Amino acid sequence: MMDVIQQLREQAKKLLEEKKVEMVIGFGEGTELARTTPVFITNPEEVSALTWGPLCANNLVKYLIDYQNLPGNVAVVVKGCDSRSVNRLLTDNQIDREKVVVLGVPCSGQLDWKIVAAAVDPAAKLKGFSDDGESFTVNTDAGDYKFDKKEAMLHKCLVCENPNPVVSDITVGKEQPVKNYEDRFAEVKALEQLGTEEKSVFWDKQFSRCLRCYACRNVCTVCTCRTCVFDQMQPMWVSKRNNLSENTAFHLIRAFHVAGRCVDCGECDRVCPVDIPLRKLNQKILKDLGDLFDAPTPGSEAGLASPLGEFATGDPEEFM
Amino acid sequence: MDSRVVNKGQLPELLDKLARDHTLIAPVREEENVTLFKKVSGASEVQLDYITSDVSPKGCIFPQTEKTISYTYTGDTLEMKEQDEPPKTVLFGVRPCDINSILALDPVFEGKFLDTYYLEKRKNTVIIGLSCSTILSTCFCTAFNSGPCDGKGADLMFTELGDKYYVEVNTEKGSSLVEAYSQYFSKGDTDKLAKAKEEQAKKLEGQFRRKVDLEGVKQVLDENFELPYWDKVFKKCLGCGICTYVCPTCHCFDIFDYVTGEFTGDRFRCWDSCMFPDFTLMAGGHNPRPSRKERVRNRFMHKLKYHLDRYNLDGCVGCGRCISKCPVNIDITQIIKDLKEVGQNA
Amino acid sequence: MHNPSPLTPYPATVTKIVDETGDVKTFTVEFDDPQVMENFGNKPGQVAQLSVFGEGEATISITSAPTRGKFLEFSVRRVGRLTNVLHQFEVGQKIGVRGPYGNWFPYEMMKGKDLFFIGGGIALAPIRSLIDFALSDQYRKDYGKVEILYGARSYNDLCFKHDLFERWPNCPNTKVYTTLDRPEEGWDGHVGFVPNYVEEVNPSPENKVAIICGPPIMIKFTLAVMEKLKFADEQIITTLEMKMKCGIGKCGRCNIGSKYVCVDGPVFNLAQLKQLPPEF
Repeated sequence: MMDVIQQLREQAKKLLEEKKVEMVIGFGEGTELARTTPVFITNPEEVSALTWGPLCANNLVKYLIDYQNLPGNVAVVVKGCDSRSVNRLLTDNQIDREKVVVLGVPCSGQLDWKIVAAAVDPAAKLKGFSDDGESFTVNTDAGDYKFDKKEAMLHKCLVCENPNPVVSDITVGKEQPVKNYEDRFAEVKALEQLGTEEKSVFWDKQFSRCLRCYACRNVCTVCTCRTCVFDQMQPMWVSKRNNLSENTAFHLIRAFHVAGRCVDCGECDRVCPVDIPLRKLNQKILKDLGDLFDAPTPGSEAGLASPLGEFATGDPEEFM
Repeated sequence: MDSRVVNKGQLPELLDKLARDHTLIAPVREEENVTLFKKVSGASEVQLDYITSDVSPKGCIFPQTEKTISYTYTGDTLEMKEQDEPPKTVLFGVRPCDINSILALDPVFEGKFLDTYYLEKRKNTVIIGLSCSTILSTCFCTAFNSGPCDGKGADLMFTELGDKYYVEVNTEKGSSLVEAYSQYFSKGDTDKLAKAKEEQAKKLEGQFRRKVDLEGVKQVLDENFELPYWDKVFKKCLGCGICTYVCPTCHCFDIFDYVTGEFTGDRFRCWDSCMFPDFTLMAGGHNPRPSRKERVRNRFMHKLKYHLDRYNLDGCVGCGRCISKCPVNIDITQIIKDLKEVGQNA
Repeated sequence: MHNPSPLTPYPATVTKIVDETGDVKTFTVEFDDPQVMENFGNKPGQVAQLSVFGEGEATISITSAPTRGKFLEFSVRRVGRLTNVLHQFEVGQKIGVRGPYGNWFPYEMMKGKDLFFIGGGIALAPIRSLIDFALSDQYRKDYGKVEILYGARSYNDLCFKHDLFERWPNCPNTKVYTTLDRPEEGWDGHVGFVPNYVEEVNPSPENKVAIICGPPIMIKFTLAVMEKLKFADEQIITTLEMKMKCGIGKCGRCNIGSKYVCVDGPVFNLAQLKQLPPEF
């Protein structure tokens, strides 16, 4: 994994030195051992700030929207899941393909940083990582810590469809095999088994603690509206009152708004400060879209149209 | 100062009684990983071994959403109904950082215009603090004249020591509660426990990983509004409201009406966030803090300077929530460190 | 005992509505309980929160001087959701008012001085309270010459036409200068932008206080003129507009640095303003 970091830095340096890009957006060391943070590098001398490993969960493609109007090009480090966002933004005409350099990194999984933070000596300094197939080892000056992938990876990584970027200009690191630890929709299927009443109890409990911080929306790469419906005052579709009814309206409107475009990067789920399992909502829709329209995960291929954005004569219409 | 002892085995019974006689608000484990302060009906719901709650307990005194008035308005006639008096409440299990934050909020809601919504809840609430026993890597309360066992601001301060809780009785309110439930509060060997508590506090203080030194930081901010540094910080910010909503000292709110019928409606106030663009956006379209840069700067200026300027109290209490919750690892302790460096290089 | 909340408005009634311009109306408001007006104690330059039930509240400057009578006047531009509804109000309709909030023009400190008012567009509204205060029978003797320089885009955009052309020019030792941005049929008065007109009128800074309010661009260029005319920063007073919700220094949004415009402002002199970060 250390050679991937080295190669990433070299590629970034080259891109900046040759003025092919104005900025490289990548992962940098965070303020805690188990965390990384987005970095924005414009100076080729500063590429040593770039890092890579199994603690790079953020989907950096979101930042392309901020920098779409930069005069120069921007390079962005993406994992397989993030790369679906690139395709999706291209389909939505949100970014210009000519102005983006995709630095793709094949990924063998991302650890839940909280699990790592809880296990590692807080004073330890990170030395490196190794991928041992079924586990990751985090090497520190206070010793090595082994994390079983099945136990410590983000759920989305257990059912990863695209360990290798589906769009990439420069690929760094070696290709990774697809490895599913469980049925991709196992969690959704379990929820589907519940009765209406039980489903309602489950979601009421989740939505009632929503803070309406809008982190799920702000982190989402397909949330690109200039004025979000939830910020709109005239008319005010959802009020700022924090209660179950308004919160439910918020989450359901959002889920349906990204339906058919959600690339299942899982960022909404990861950033939620009160652990609302938002990915389950999006996955339910993803599963239905697959069942109804045989639709692949949005963004998994270039130029994929949204199944809900077009009409085909073969579309199911049981409700008619 | 008076002190008492509560036997650990008797705490559930005491909490049950408190819940019976008052509104009892305590830490509750919602999901596997989420702890929130909620109204409980008895001890069985209380999560005594929590470390820190995901959202601060400030909402018990300053709720995220509260109705200020209900009105009936036909155009020609207008009637308004104010809030009822809040119930007698016991807020149990509050950590020292969160108690400290209530002290930081008090002067905001006091002053020339007394904010009755806050102040009446404050008046009707007995705060029972609970000393920490675990220090998280994000904790840094010691930077703000507090500590893991600091009972300042609590009416009663509980510290778990072996099979007992050592209880410091800090206020009249606390003393009345002890009196009302005197069968649970024995006099015991409080001197020995006081000493044990001190030792525990010292031991815990040694476990803080973040050494945060605020010396000179305010001065840097006093002297510099524009700093190239802010250009660096804001880039990664997603502009969400996590930091402000989990923060125990953030107090910004919005006021708006919600129509409930042809002639009726409610007026609410609810938390708002300075990280949102519409926070300062005026009806005519002008926005004095138009980009994330100004908004991020404002938030840290508020924590590290403005609150001090206005109330002579720190605007941060070192609870570490914004650090652990920020999706992009914007870390106030790093910002403090960087600002210090900016000052030294200036 | 439950104390009354500072966020609860007092019931009041709209008793008069004047169309000032195409999008500005002045509402005269009287409290339903006369005792409230007795205790209200508004001073020139202060603001109030108007409640339009169903829409919420908006911060509006009190445009009437307390010397005018037992009522409040608010000049409101139709610019957003709430003001849209307010503009559909009819006389007799109920409204909520709470306040007064903020500081006021330092009228004590201005005693014995000449006053030079400069306004543009709707922004005559906040300083009108001080103009009327200084021109009132009760206080006229406290102030020297009163000059009012006011401009708008067109004749139709001039607010307070009755004051401008009839009431104020007939007050003792008072002069009104009115200008339109562009020439217009039927207008034989001055044409040109406010800052240029100020330069033409060329007020001497001696024993004078300038009170300026207008759109940011007008303020910017007028301040440059004032500097040229050798007005000291302390002689230049303005009033700021910020988004406010509570009006009582708690909701956190109207801060400029450590100052809240709703309690520490809205009135600042230029020297004070220069101490604040440029975030307004």
